[in-house]
Amino acid sequence: MAATIIDPITTGLASGWQHIDANHLAEDQHFEADVVIVGTGAGGGTAAEILTDAGLSVIMIEAGPLKSSSDFDMEERTAYPDLYQQAAAMKTADKGIGIFQGRSVGGSTTVNWTTSIRTPQNALEFWAKEKSVAGLSSESLLPWFEKMEARLNISEWQFQPNQNNAALKEGCEKLGWEYTVIKRNVKGCWNSGYCGMGCPVNAKQSMLVTTIPSALEQGAKLISNAKVFDLKHKGDKVEGLSARAQSGTAATLTFSARHYILSAGAIHTPTILMRANTPDPHKLLGKTFLHPTLLSGSIFDKQIDGHSGAPQSIYSDEFVWRDGAAGEMGYKLEVPPIHPVLIASKTIGYGQSHAELMTHFNNLQVMIALVRDGYSAQSPGGQVRLTDSGFALDYSLEKPFWDTARRAFATMAELQFAAGASKVLPINDGVGMQLNWAQAKETIANMDIGLLKTIVASAHVMGGCAMGEDKTMSMINSEGQSHYFENLSVMDGSMFPTSLGANPQLSIYGIVARNATLLAERLKPQIQI
Amino acid sequence: MKRRTFLTGAFTGTAALALGVSLYTPEVTDSPDDTHRLLFSVLIPVFMDGALPDVPNYREAFLNRTIIAINQTISVLPTDQKQELEQLLTMLESRFGLLILTSSITPLMLRTPAELNDMLEQWRHHFLEMMQTAYIGLRELIVASYYACPEHWGRLHYSKPTFLDA
Repeated sequence: MAATIIDPITTGLASGWQHIDANHLAEDQHFEADVVIVGTGAGGGTAAEILTDAGLSVIMIEAGPLKSSSDFDMEERTAYPDLYQQAAAMKTADKGIGIFQGRSVGGSTTVNWTTSIRTPQNALEFWAKEKSVAGLSSESLLPWFEKMEARLNISEWQFQPNQNNAALKEGCEKLGWEYTVIKRNVKGCWNSGYCGMGCPVNAKQSMLVTTIPSALEQGAKLISNAKVFDLKHKGDKVEGLSARAQSGTAATLTFSARHYILSAGAIHTPTILMRANTPDPHKLLGKTFLHPTLLSGSIFDKQIDGHSGAPQSIYSDEFVWRDGAAGEMGYKLEVPPIHPVLIASKTIGYGQSHAELMTHFNNLQVMIALVRDGYSAQSPGGQVRLTDSGFALDYSLEKPFWDTARRAFATMAELQFAAGASKVLPINDGVGMQLNWAQAKETIANMDIGLLKTIVASAHVMGGCAMGEDKTMSMINSEGQSHYFENLSVMDGSMFPTSLGANPQLSIYGIVARNATLLAERLKPQIQI
Repeated sequence: MKRRTFLTGAFTGTAALALGVSLYTPEVTDSPDDTHRLLFSVLIPVFMDGALPDVPNYREAFLNRTIIAINQTISVLPTDQKQELEQLLTMLESRFGLLILTSSITPLMLRTPAELNDMLEQWRHHFLEMMQTAYIGLRELIVASYYACPEHWGRLHYSKPTFLDA
């Protein structure tokens, strides 16, 4: 990378930050702190800064490696193995949904597309009414969103959207549909389009370059490449954690603390609790939501260059909440960045037809529809379960989902033609290029849709350790405190009792900022004695 | 035993976007380009027909690059996925496995491109989800590995930004 870009991580490490790469540990080691946080994504990073600010000693444990801008070379072949869970090849047990989730210091915030949306009021109201969540409303969360928006420089994107996003905007304008300019967590963004491979210029205000350096600067300790495999507990107390290095050593790392926070993400937080046989009398752990997402490609006569420019700058909520939160499943419309492997893999077919599609790479516009799940019996979400070697996620896509998918494909095709596409390609096996809206409408109404035929992806893993006051429907209270352990909190996307109907990072930042501050107030007086 | 495991397991389909570490790093030590070389040299031209160059020398170079990339892709997959994929590849290299998967013991390298294409189409549209996942697994592995290589981006008229090269 260019010498002109200062890497805040290598600079910080040189200045004496406490970082241990567990892969380099020669022997077993024990660590102690006031608070041990498992995971360094949106939840763990936010909590780490707030707790160190409060004067508490903090250890952050991260299962992934510590990678920073010097490592980010804007190539998918480097980014996916380095920065994503299972090298970006994670799938549900039946292979029906491909899942993108971050796995390095900073978690998914290191690789997300910067879209920052406050928790939708519909979701908050539904949680209050149906999921026994208390004290979380748009009003009560406002100061926390404002705090984190200021901290992470979250503001409306001021530049013109790239052509990929502009198509979404123009289509909505033509059809009279709602659209919104996205707020992004960037500072001095170069508008290059490579957020998903780690920001090479440190403009994205991910946890990697904001809260984690701040915590390290104040004396927190970071341990990377350490995978927590056990949580010891007795009565209503967690007594310690054990971790082992990802590779290179057989050393075991043990941790004890006054308080433990699980921020390992919506799959791994419940997995840690399940493996430790913690109480779950109502079988609630691991209920997972994914925003299962459909894709629609289109070809424009003009150059789109979907690899270039802010990956997401426009969304449309026209179809998310149409029928109310508990009504028919809705979907949010966005666009993804268009990079060679991502697009080659998430399209259909092979040989001549695929090669022909790829020749239109720079004229390709892609729309995505993120389906809101978890709000009714029709969309119960998935279930994480333990396996001998790790975990599996069962997520059954049933008829109500496929009916919604068919509607979403039609919506995206209509939008793309309205925006000026010359051809539209629903990403569903057996369907060819559609030449006009009337043809697409007919094709989509009759196409063979279903598991493995339809490409379904997810970049938003949520739920698994739901919050609420009613123990029959929640594992933690509305402040993130475990119902079963007085010294355990959960602060990550697993706390959501349903999906959000919006990209999750700002919801995690805001709610965790509130909960970590409440926790700091609780823990602080004791250390001052 | 292998047959039983294969038939009951939901194998592969998971190599989608894993791309190997770098084509140029020598850290994969056990001659990665030799693993399943023959099998992939038969399958890649079918999956990448129209993308591979026609000129023999270039075609050979693209093929070799892709085989290296595929093996590096497999090397970074989690153990479970690696095992599932290896199981499929091993079956495709054995006559007994081929009989189960394709109803024929003719080695893949002795089949014509049209026959190989028919085989993939049968898997793709098979009533058993297991066969569809075999198709999807191979497709994603090969297509993702091919387009992971910057040398193969010429037809896309794409290259990564150079603003940091200075």
